[in-house]
Amino acid sequence: MKRKNWVRLDNASNIFLASVTDFDTKVFRLSATLEEAIDPILLQLALDKNFEAYPLYRSVLRRGVFWYYLEESDLKPQVQLDEQPPCSQLYHFDRKELLFRVVYYQNRIHLEVFHALSDGTGAMWFFEDLLSEYVFLQNDFVSAEISKESSQSERVVDSEHTDSFIHHFRHKGQRSYAVATQSAIRKLAGASKTAGKFALNYGKKAMQYEMTDKEKKKKRKKVYQIKGKRTIDNRTHVVELNMSVQPVLKLAHEQNASLTIYLTALFIEAIRKTNPIVEDGMTIAVSVPVNLRQFYDSTSARNFFSTTHLEYTYDPSEKTNLAVICKTLKEQLQQQLSSNSLETRLNKLIAYEFNPLTRVIFRPIKDGILKIINYFNNRRLTFAMSNLGSVHLPQSIDEKVHQFYFQTSAVRPQFCVISHQDYLSICLNSPFVETTLYKQFVRDLTALGVAITISANKIDGLELRGEQN
Amino acid sequence: MNYCQECQVSVNGEWLSCPLCHQPLEKVSDMPTPNPYPDIPLRFNKQQVLRILTSISIATISIALIIELLFLRSPRGLNIISFGIVSMWLVVLIIIRKRRNIAKSIVYLIISLSLLSIYWDYVEGWSAWSTTHAVPMICIFALIAMYIAVRLVKIEVGDYILYLLCAALIGLIPAIFLFFNWVTDPVPAWLSIGLSTIMLIVTFIFYRGEVLRELKKRMMV
Repeated sequence: MKRKNWVRLDNASNIFLASVTDFDTKVFRLSATLEEAIDPILLQLALDKNFEAYPLYRSVLRRGVFWYYLEESDLKPQVQLDEQPPCSQLYHFDRKELLFRVVYYQNRIHLEVFHALSDGTGAMWFFEDLLSEYVFLQNDFVSAEISKESSQSERVVDSEHTDSFIHHFRHKGQRSYAVATQSAIRKLAGASKTAGKFALNYGKKAMQYEMTDKEKKKKRKKVYQIKGKRTIDNRTHVVELNMSVQPVLKLAHEQNASLTIYLTALFIEAIRKTNPIVEDGMTIAVSVPVNLRQFYDSTSARNFFSTTHLEYTYDPSEKTNLAVICKTLKEQLQQQLSSNSLETRLNKLIAYEFNPLTRVIFRPIKDGILKIINYFNNRRLTFAMSNLGSVHLPQSIDEKVHQFYFQTSAVRPQFCVISHQDYLSICLNSPFVETTLYKQFVRDLTALGVAITISANKIDGLELRGEQN
Repeated sequence: MNYCQECQVSVNGEWLSCPLCHQPLEKVSDMPTPNPYPDIPLRFNKQQVLRILTSISIATISIALIIELLFLRSPRGLNIISFGIVSMWLVVLIIIRKRRNIAKSIVYLIISLSLLSIYWDYVEGWSAWSTTHAVPMICIFALIAMYIAVRLVKIEVGDYILYLLCAALIGLIPAIFLFFNWVTDPVPAWLSIGLSTIMLIVTFIFYRGEVLRELKKRMMV
């Protein structure tokens, strides 16, 4: 009998397990549209092939006494028709199942991933390779119908156009299960115990320093929380906005801000407009994840990101506008992205993972502690936004894939951004039924002259029945 | 494609009113663009069903208790009923919560049912029936049940071996009852000890490596 490989789940990923709830499944979804309706048989072939190259995706999650661990499994993924609400639960307690799923509907392919397995960037690698595989297979089939010879020559052209360096380079580091499943931070730290100890001391000092100064200030702030009525069956409420990148980029540049900052500022203003009490000196706080791979050389497909905390406090005595908010957010982001600040943060994470104290605490207790931490983190936030940036595919595939979409399950209203070529997609996610905030945000954008097409999922029985009649 | 004048957005799919502001939409073209989000019917509402079942059970139980109290006036009957109800709920909850792991649910059942029977015995004025008969019997049959279950369901050795070990170790506890002379008849206790010992020896001979590997995995610090 073949012995199964397994690897401990790092602390950073443990927080996702502790904070999973029925409505916040910690699942995110990457989608892409192709020209024609998806062929499930081809998609399955592409998935089977791609699955081989990504050992990390073979894992199932198990529970130990002190830690969760990822165990290699023999399960094979099956492509499914989109029959569940977006970002439905992937990890069920005590059940052995893969931590991702590939779903299709009409001309869209979706990849849903449980966040303890990977982050958006890591999953995007898997997704890009899956799409490439699918497009290759599809083209082969088409040309096979016309003539066999031309198919072969086309294949040669295709592989020349492919940026094979990126593709092969990625795979190389991931052939073995043990390496692929290692925590990104551990890899960076070289897993040496001295590094751990050093980081522990360093991290502690840094934390103390951070606590005294920042915590005091934070205590006085009233962070605004968006409230609402939950959807009946805990499904995520999605409103997807599609538009052209250029007009929005132009608007952002007019404010001297990046797309991330601009959209965040716009959302903050939308919150203020829908809830007048915000103007009386309330703080709107937002968490924005940052991909650490752009700062540290890492090819890990595991979670490797840090979150930045941006906030804006409305001063009743001053008149605010979008430009002021953009400027404030920009300064905060720059400060948090400074190498010093990132280093502190990373060291803190390493310290957590190697901390001898947290190691010997029983897992259920750990879960409890993390739940409490997560609760207080949530209290400090008004909403969250995540920008996966612009997706670039190898040239030959790029033309075949139209648009990308990105969304996550939500504990509070939030939005996700992704762009491809000239398409920009913003997905508004929320666990609530209400659309007042969405409406304000969309109307603010359209009032600025941006043409938007929306798609939404149906969230209550009335909507579902009303449409059928 | 439909269009919302109020929000100034085009809407994909066959929406009649705007998903944002719920105002009626204006038809721009006759060709409806399909909604990329399929209509997914509401999922079965588990919580509600559970709530209904619980309230029905509670109502039935209270009626039974009232009848017992007012008409039969026997405190012993009341005791038996309430212990019965408690064990029913215990078993149901453990089975529901641990349904995906048979071996684990059996271990949980051994522990909870044994403790419950000891407590029951104690409340009724300690005639030692629980330590003499109940606990050893629970241990013996639980071990047999687990053995049959893992054979029938064909779960992997690694997934049940530690629980089997646990159950076998628990089966040795009646030795303590014998030592302190908490039994009126030593036979059931000896049977439990005997069966557990056999199980332990078998596990040690055939599955030693598996046990160590599982322990290492689960106890990883």
